[in-house]
Amino acid sequence: MNAAKENLWKAFRGLVVFWIIGLAIGETLMAWGIGNWPILGSIQAHITADATTYLLWQAVAIYVLVGGAVVYSAFRFRASSMSDTAAPAYQARTWAPFVVTWLVLAIGINLANTIYPGMVGLEQLWGIQLDTKNPLVIDVTAQQWKWTFSYPKQGVTDVSQLVVPEGRTIDFVLRTKDVMHDFWVPAWGEKKDVIPNEVRHLFITPTMLGTTATNPMLRVQCSLICGNGHPLMRAPVKVVTPADFKAWVANNSF
Amino acid sequence: MATNEIQENALNNMGVDKTPFAASMLFPLFRATLWGLTGYFAAAWITALLFHTVIVNPLPATVGYVVGLICWLMGSGVWEGWIRRAFGGKEAPTYTGIERYFRFGPDSKSTAVRYVVLNIVTFFLAGMAAMAIRIELLTPDSTSWWLSEIQYNQTFGIHGLMMLLGVVASAIVGGVGYYLIPLMLGTRNVVFPKLLGLSWWLLPPATFAVFMSPTIGGFQTGWWGYPPLAQNSGSGIVWYVLGAATILFASLLGAINIAGTMVYMRAKGMSLGRVPIFVWGLFAAATILVVESPATYTGALMDLSDMIAGSHFYTGPTGHPLAYLDQFWFLFHPEVYVFILPAFAIWLEILPAAAKRPLFARGWAIAGLVGVSMLGAMLGVHHYFTAVSDARMPIFMTITETVSIPTGFIYLSAIGTIWGGRLRINAAVLLVLMAMMNFLIGGLTGIFNADVPADLQLHNTYWVIAHFHYTMLGGVIFSWIAALYWWFPKVTGRKINEFWGKFHAWWFFVFFNCTFFPMFIAGIEGMNRRIAIYLPYLHDINLFMSISSFFLGAGFLIPLANLLYSWRYGPKAEANPWGSNGLEWQIKSPTPYVPYPAGTEPEVVGPNDNYAAEAKEPVIWVPTPSK
Ligand code: HEM
Ligand SMILES: [Cu+2]
Ligand SMILES: [Cu+2]
Repeated sequence: MNAAKENLWKAFRGLVVFWIIGLAIGETLMAWGIGNWPILGSIQAHITADATTYLLWQAVAIYVLVGGAVVYSAFRFRASSMSDTAAPAYQARTWAPFVVTWLVLAIGINLANTIYPGMVGLEQLWGIQLDTKNPLVIDVTAQQWKWTFSYPKQGVTDVSQLVVPEGRTIDFVLRTKDVMHDFWVPAWGEKKDVIPNEVRHLFITPTMLGTTATNPMLRVQCSLICGNGHPLMRAPVKVVTPADFKAWVANNSF
Repeated sequence: MATNEIQENALNNMGVDKTPFAASMLFPLFRATLWGLTGYFAAAWITALLFHTVIVNPLPATVGYVVGLICWLMGSGVWEGWIRRAFGGKEAPTYTGIERYFRFGPDSKSTAVRYVVLNIVTFFLAGMAAMAIRIELLTPDSTSWWLSEIQYNQTFGIHGLMMLLGVVASAIVGGVGYYLIPLMLGTRNVVFPKLLGLSWWLLPPATFAVFMSPTIGGFQTGWWGYPPLAQNSGSGIVWYVLGAATILFASLLGAINIAGTMVYMRAKGMSLGRVPIFVWGLFAAATILVVESPATYTGALMDLSDMIAGSHFYTGPTGHPLAYLDQFWFLFHPEVYVFILPAFAIWLEILPAAAKRPLFARGWAIAGLVGVSMLGAMLGVHHYFTAVSDARMPIFMTITETVSIPTGFIYLSAIGTIWGGRLRINAAVLLVLMAMMNFLIGGLTGIFNADVPADLQLHNTYWVIAHFHYTMLGGVIFSWIAALYWWFPKVTGRKINEFWGKFHAWWFFVFFNCTFFPMFIAGIEGMNRRIAIYLPYLHDINLFMSISSFFLGAGFLIPLANLLYSWRYGPKAEANPWGSNGLEWQIKSPTPYVPYPAGTEPEVVGPNDNYAAEAKEPVIWVPTPSK
């Protein structure tokens, strides 16, 4: 091809076609992936997963647009060989419409993302936490390498299994006896570090019945390196109906 | 090119030492090792005796390290090359031959070559640690025939720290940057050549100590060294702290040189507008180290003090571990930009020459490099959203997301350069394109970590492991190998084998993605990081990642063999094999000890990326003005 005669608009039309095909394939795959999302066992998990899935759609689109432009132009504008050293006719150092479009999109997407899913998600999470009138308080004590749970108002102390009722917001009060740990139930969609000399709170509203045995995402898992017992610093979780919870409390309190 | 001939004549009379290699040239290396080990053991023993303890305890290990490091440096040639004069003695002569590669000295080119060697060695050792990790993860259980949980934790800690500080921190900056900076700016050496020489000699003992840390009990914390776990899980943490602090200090010596050379040593006519983009990338990285590293040293040393001196800054009933996190991440977040900015700049340096187009939107690209380095100073807190109060979340989320804007300028510039060009794709260019594709995934997935709601779930899972391997292995290491291939003729006068270069590029790309892409999924499915034991439902995906990683790891023998073989037997290259307008290519290859003969200086008369048919040469040679 004669470099001097290269028609850049024609090349751009090719890129648009490439983009459309890429977007169709990419977003279809993403739809399939998101369709297989792991379980979401709390209101909070829905909020954080909404953020993640929204960003995934967007990431696929940006990946196709930017990555597609890289691949397409590298292919379209390749020279036949290393010894083909002729310079192309197109030698412009910049082209304002491209730069301006890029800038506007970059700033726009960035601003939009900060608002949604960022701030909107945070507002929702904070809203649950601040609105809760009467949370179920559970004291969580982390230590190398086990978890213990106490229910001060229910008179249940030092159990090693986490039993919670469905549908009620829980205020987990997190303390550690030794090093830093992190309280995480993957199905609940949020984690919180447990820090020496501090007390931290994590608010969770479970929405799905189940046990660790039926779904391993429903487990307490330490998520901050805390020594050699770290991988096994887990505790079983059981989400039960409010009635079953009452019964469990009656059996386990003093 | 005519300019090369002019130089050749003059250079042949420069009296450069041409003695062939002899084993006796290795003497400084042996002496440094001997003095270093002697110093270490003597000091550790004496301290242990004084404090009635054993030498593997934290205090003797610390004192031993410091004394051993100093003795090593003296043995390497710092004594006669630098210090002796301060005591009224004579300074050693300047070594201009092969000898200079094996001893401390002020020549930036041999320092850079030593960086390449050290980075490659460290990459392979830390890579073996990665293989050890993946072997452990072949099965969900504790794999008792392989590593214990304690050993597993030590392994990923060493892997992470060494890959970061021993490899990517200096791979491009050190091996490529220190070699090219003077040549690209049109000067004969960097501004503080001895400091630069010193910077390399600090690294071997530091690296060695980190790798040897299991011999004194290892460390369990991973590469973060968070208290109070640091203080109660093995004395090896002292070598982690000292090793990391030493390497950072070495980086700082390099950073001062980069910034100083760029400000004070540019050739005549090399206005800031004409400074090569790669040097801008190094400069942006250097500013980060100069501004941000002191706070992090201080944090590391206070962490050490809690360990050996009984203080309670971060530990005990009165200490605040979170204060350590603030200090640690103050540098170590922006440090990732120290790794990636030079890689970005490598893309933008190579692409114009490969596509025969000027660098597109150069001003925006520079704004991108500098902008990332500036924003980077303010956002370390995004590494522990799960530990801070709610009120601190929005600001650090916003600033972190903003980084995507200047980062995007790099892609803007790269795409605009390729567009309408005639891209000649050799192994180096192919690796650059692949690095762009990989880093794109790394960057886009970073937005999830910046977005607090998403991060509260993804933090400390394999999602994050995937994210940063896409940036560092997929971005930095691809670009590093590309740079080694591209400037190989400059250093050795020969070319690498293109077939094996491209073959490995594809191998690397495929198995890299097979190894790390599934980690995003594992993270979403609830696999947290730093675990030797995981739940059986994650077995299949881990098996797949482990097997892919073995192919990935084995593949690195290809570029190693390629570089070694081509160094001796590769096809001879012309002085400017890629037809680049870069100043570094306008002189002889391999670069002579003195790049320009006495009496001749380059004068820059045009941009170095003008490939238009009628373009003038960007540089002319003028006589050195008499002072
Ligand atoms: C050769 C291919 C590599 C493989 C297969 C590999 C594999 C891994 C794996 C599986 C982990 C997770 C350990 C865990 O959290 O449980 C890890 C951690 C890590 N890797 Fe790599 N890696 C490779 C190369 C690299 C490179 C090139 C870099 C950086 C330049 C790097 C930097 C890190 C860091 C910083 C960590 C975190 C260590 C920690 O948790 O303290 N890795 N690697
Ligand atoms: Cu843990
Ligand atoms: Cu960071």
